[in-house]
Amino acid sequence: MIDGRALILACSAIGAGLAMIAGIGPGIGQGFAAGKGAEAVGRQPGAQADVIRTMLLGAAVAETTGIYGLIVAIILLFANPLISTYEKGL
Amino acid sequence: MDILDFLFGWLEKTDPKAIVLGFSAIGAGFAMMAGIGPGIGQGFAAGKAAEAVGNNPKGGKQATLVMLLGAAVAETSGIFSLVVAIIMLFANPLVGRMGTSIGGTNAVGTALILAACALGAGLAMIAGIGPGIGQGYAAGKGSEAVGKRPKLQSTVLRTMLLGQAVAQTTGIYALIIALLLLFVNVFA
Repeated sequence: MIDGRALILACSAIGAGLAMIAGIGPGIGQGFAAGKGAEAVGRQPGAQADVIRTMLLGAAVAETTGIYGLIVAIILLFANPLISTYEKGL
Repeated sequence: MDILDFLFGWLEKTDPKAIVLGFSAIGAGFAMMAGIGPGIGQGFAAGKAAEAVGNNPKGGKQATLVMLLGAAVAETSGIFSLVVAIIMLFANPLVGRMGTSIGGTNAVGTALILAACALGAGLAMIAGIGPGIGQGYAAGKGSEAVGKRPKLQSTVLRTMLLGQAVAQTTGIYALIIALLLLFVNVFA
């Protein structure tokens, strides 16, 4: 007999893994920003500090959805709310 | 016969160790999908470097160096996934955890959770696609810039590597989650 708890925890593990797939996006986007930054610095080496500042600012914004995915995964692994809901109903 | 029996009834009749190892194989396969990223990214970098060398053969050595450096960074996501897959195949940590009861469940439940951890770890490593593509694009643009002005190699390299380091972060998060799922008893 499969315990309900076991099913919930197993699906939470799979869900945590699926959530991390969101990391694809910032990886692609921040890499694009890095490339364009390198191109800009190649064209105007004097503007390196400004270029880097803008690049990092934009990359920080791009990082956010990756962080959301990480938060959901960590919640599923370490502070699973579904188990408490399940056990409250029992 | 309710839906859970239908979907998971076969789990109770199977050897728990086989369940864990079977899903480890699937997880290892999913992890290797990350190879898509470096393939695309490094290919782009190679093309851009070839174009740069063609446009300015005098700057060829510097452009090629930047390409190889950037491509090496892009490779890392593929290596992380390979390491996770090899761990799951040859040094499987989950079978060792089968003795303990996870989440207070019985043996079948523990095996199910460990199998799902293997699957989740493999799925998480798919995130390596992103940094692979992005860092490869950065490598290509870097070698293009250096090909145009070889004297600026160190400045361009610094910017490129900084951006690539930022792009690596989500790949590292995914690696951390995968290693947690494999090695640490996350479910209290």
